[in-house]
Amino acid sequence: MEYKYIGKPLPRPDAISKATGKAIYLDDIRIPGMLYAAILSPEYAHAKIINIDTSSAEKMPGVVKVVTGKDCCIRYGDNIADQTPMAVDKVRYAGEPVAAVVAETLEQANAAVEKIKVEYEPLLVYTDAREAMKEDAVLIHEHQEEYKRLPTLKCIPDTNVANYYRLIKGKGEEGFEEADVVVEGEFNYPIGSAAAMEPHGSIVWFKEDQSIECWSSSVCPFIIRQELAHTFDMPVSEVRVHIPEIGGSFGYKSDITVEITIAWIASFVPGRPVKWVATRREDFTSTLSGHGIRTFMKLGAKKNGKLVAIKSKILHSGGAFAETPVNVTITATHNSGGPYEYEHCFMEGYTVYTNTTPVGAFRGYGHPESQFATERLMDMLARKLDMDPFKFREVNYLREGSIVASGEKMWKTNGDVQAAAKKIQEAIFDGDKPEEDEDYYYGRGFAALSKAPKGATFSTKGCYMKMNIDGSVSINMGGAEQGQGLRTVVKQVAAEALQIPPEKIHCYTEIDTQFSPYEWQTIGSMFTVQGGRAVIRAANKLIAILKKTASQVLKADEDMLDYNGEYVYLRNDPSIKVAVKDLARGYITSDGITIGEIAQASADARLPRYSNPDPETGQGTLGVEYTFGAQGAQIRVEKKTGKVIVDHFASSFDIGRVINPLQARGTVLGGVLMGIGAALHEELIYDEQGHQKNPHYGRYRIPKMRDIPPKSTVDFIENPGAVGPYGARGIGEHPFLAVVPAILNAIYDATGIDFYEIPITPEKMKQALADRKENA
Amino acid sequence: MAEKYTFKVNGCERTVEVDADTLLIDVLREDLQLTGTKRGCDNYTCGACTVILNGKAVKSCRTTMDKVQGGEVITVEGVSNGKELHPVQKALVDSGAIQCGFCTPGIVTELVALFDNNPDADEDAILKALNKHLCRCTGYEAIKDGALLAKQLIKERQR
Ligand code: FES
Ligand code: FES
Repeated sequence: MEYKYIGKPLPRPDAISKATGKAIYLDDIRIPGMLYAAILSPEYAHAKIINIDTSSAEKMPGVVKVVTGKDCCIRYGDNIADQTPMAVDKVRYAGEPVAAVVAETLEQANAAVEKIKVEYEPLLVYTDAREAMKEDAVLIHEHQEEYKRLPTLKCIPDTNVANYYRLIKGKGEEGFEEADVVVEGEFNYPIGSAAAMEPHGSIVWFKEDQSIECWSSSVCPFIIRQELAHTFDMPVSEVRVHIPEIGGSFGYKSDITVEITIAWIASFVPGRPVKWVATRREDFTSTLSGHGIRTFMKLGAKKNGKLVAIKSKILHSGGAFAETPVNVTITATHNSGGPYEYEHCFMEGYTVYTNTTPVGAFRGYGHPESQFATERLMDMLARKLDMDPFKFREVNYLREGSIVASGEKMWKTNGDVQAAAKKIQEAIFDGDKPEEDEDYYYGRGFAALSKAPKGATFSTKGCYMKMNIDGSVSINMGGAEQGQGLRTVVKQVAAEALQIPPEKIHCYTEIDTQFSPYEWQTIGSMFTVQGGRAVIRAANKLIAILKKTASQVLKADEDMLDYNGEYVYLRNDPSIKVAVKDLARGYITSDGITIGEIAQASADARLPRYSNPDPETGQGTLGVEYTFGAQGAQIRVEKKTGKVIVDHFASSFDIGRVINPLQARGTVLGGVLMGIGAALHEELIYDEQGHQKNPHYGRYRIPKMRDIPPKSTVDFIENPGAVGPYGARGIGEHPFLAVVPAILNAIYDATGIDFYEIPITPEKMKQALADRKENA
Repeated sequence: MAEKYTFKVNGCERTVEVDADTLLIDVLREDLQLTGTKRGCDNYTCGACTVILNGKAVKSCRTTMDKVQGGEVITVEGVSNGKELHPVQKALVDSGAIQCGFCTPGIVTELVALFDNNPDADEDAILKALNKHLCRCTGYEAIKDGALLAKQLIKERQR
């Protein structure tokens, strides 16, 4: 089928306001009477609070109020209600809010917050799940079994395990009896930060009329609205949440994060809005981190290369509150098999409380972490089987008819991982790699990937569409634009569905829960699939309304009418027609009587039959829409310095249908570079006391212009999916997924060294090269 | 102690009364409501706050007001001419160099200053200038493409 507007490199509708500095982000919002908050972080990562003395702070100039967590009995959380807006009698991580000052200016708030004196009784600190799981470990949450949690979640009482998830397919662990060859390993994906350029922040205003107004740089306005209403005991309808432009998220601005804390603070100064924006340091220490996942994995195969069994154990150092990490762990667990089929699976995931910043969503939501293990082990298993790693994978790829670990059956419409792999093979592995020379070792590596969204059974996306009197169309939705380009997708999909040029389609620019259609939250690479489908459904309804009115105007049956974006006309005589713009408010007849209704429609779309996991087997319809892909790296290791240089990185994904090639390529390149950062230098390091050692860009180094590979290949395969608009699938997170194992597999190819954890800094590489020499 | 500072911003003379150690970024954002200049870090590492001071790209988060006294500042808001985008802006828009856009104002002002000083800036000079800026979204390729296109557009305009 030929598309008119799909597949074209349309520019983003928001690009100009961003290029001219006119786009308004959270920190750019000014409200008359606004106050500023500064928040105190504790000296210790785990300690009892003995006393907080706020008296000197209260006397500081400009101070309106000093707030602590004293007497706070709020417990919040959508999954596990384990969080308090501010530490109450103990602190559980070094970025936790202990007290706050509200002042007329930010400088005054900052000056006063330093005057707050807190006495602590330090407790043992655990920065790693393995420590926190030891039998005699001090409990970070003393009575976690009392917390309200979703019925699908189970804690292990009297331990630091906040949730245990298990999946069994086939004979589970016994499946290994059928294996001829087995490999296993322990892989660590350390804590990192999404480190979006815009630090997170919120404004909350308790108004005299008993309503709350909030602004947040968040991707989940409706969750915030619900949590604020619930926490402060008021109707959801009396809470209004605005989302301005968002300066990047990559996941960590999802779920409820800082908003309840700011609301708690603001509740002490009713009538005045309170703003808090994280410093870069606070963005690292006191919002949400990423990863922190250790994977123990074992794979078993027959001699002919057929995989038979997988066993995986995920230990997630989830941080001080499990509300956000719990689903990351679950997703990491049931997707730990990667894009391969295993008859027997035994997978366990432990979300463990640690005295570190809570882990939240971060590009890939558990997939990159556990599939790092899978893809490294696939190479190792191929070696042990003495098989070509591509051929070995080909035997095992998920394909039409395969059953994934969670029990879902794969269809042709789920895409073709093997085709993606072929593209990478051609791009990276054609011909011979360069011979080792005086300065460098050369290597090439490959990894395949799969990811489905982590949805929720109610994770729908709404769309409201209205036609204006000139035949142009305005679209309103609740999806948060965070740089991923959903506005372009909305415009292009609507243009195609309505057969109206994109210039005549206006896409909403901000979210306001007072006007915006409901959306669960904009995460999981789901917007194109669900949001795009909601647009098409609304467009179909709108066209039906136009036809209904036209049938009265043209005195013909609706099913004899066709629509082309400009006219509704009689199929057998197109000269009998009425202009669409004349139908927009209903049709006004020559005698001034209006017939028909306003051309407006609303619709929503969710993942069809998405379900909760079964409590016994952990299986269920947990993915629905998978995107498959493959990535490959050609690298060099500098002998003198140990530096790993990526010379060529190639990615291929079956995204069903490319909506906007320029944007899709940009998404891939951004994700790949983020993955290169993770593989080679990014790690948020904690000292033994639980303090972050590098909460700033100077030492949490994210890639720069000079770090980009000289050559990048991006390729899309288009086997249309059954759910998304025109067959499109999600692509937001996927480019990040297999970068790490592709590079580590290439490092093995170059040096013969197997790495089990990242990042591979020059120092680690040099050390490994030296050790290798010693052992030789 | 608050002192008076008079300087030009985007062509208009402005006077503010602030402490001597006040940073230009705060004067721009808080006193003059020019919020196009962004703050992305605490320690001069991200480049989001870049503005043009006396013809040179500077980080406004490490520029104290004594350096601005009597000077001329151009922010991202002062780069376009009414509705007509500066070639740098146009090139970044057309190249797909803008995703979340938080890094964009700093990159716009950096490149405007670069090409104002040297319309023939070669690729190395361009990369050197851009390497001062962090962008978490794009993977930089499109930004580089945008910079090269901007150079071309500027050349064409001069002809
Ligand atoms: S705000 Fe980051 S360099 Fe100025
Ligand atoms: S576009 Fe988001 S940081 Fe550059």
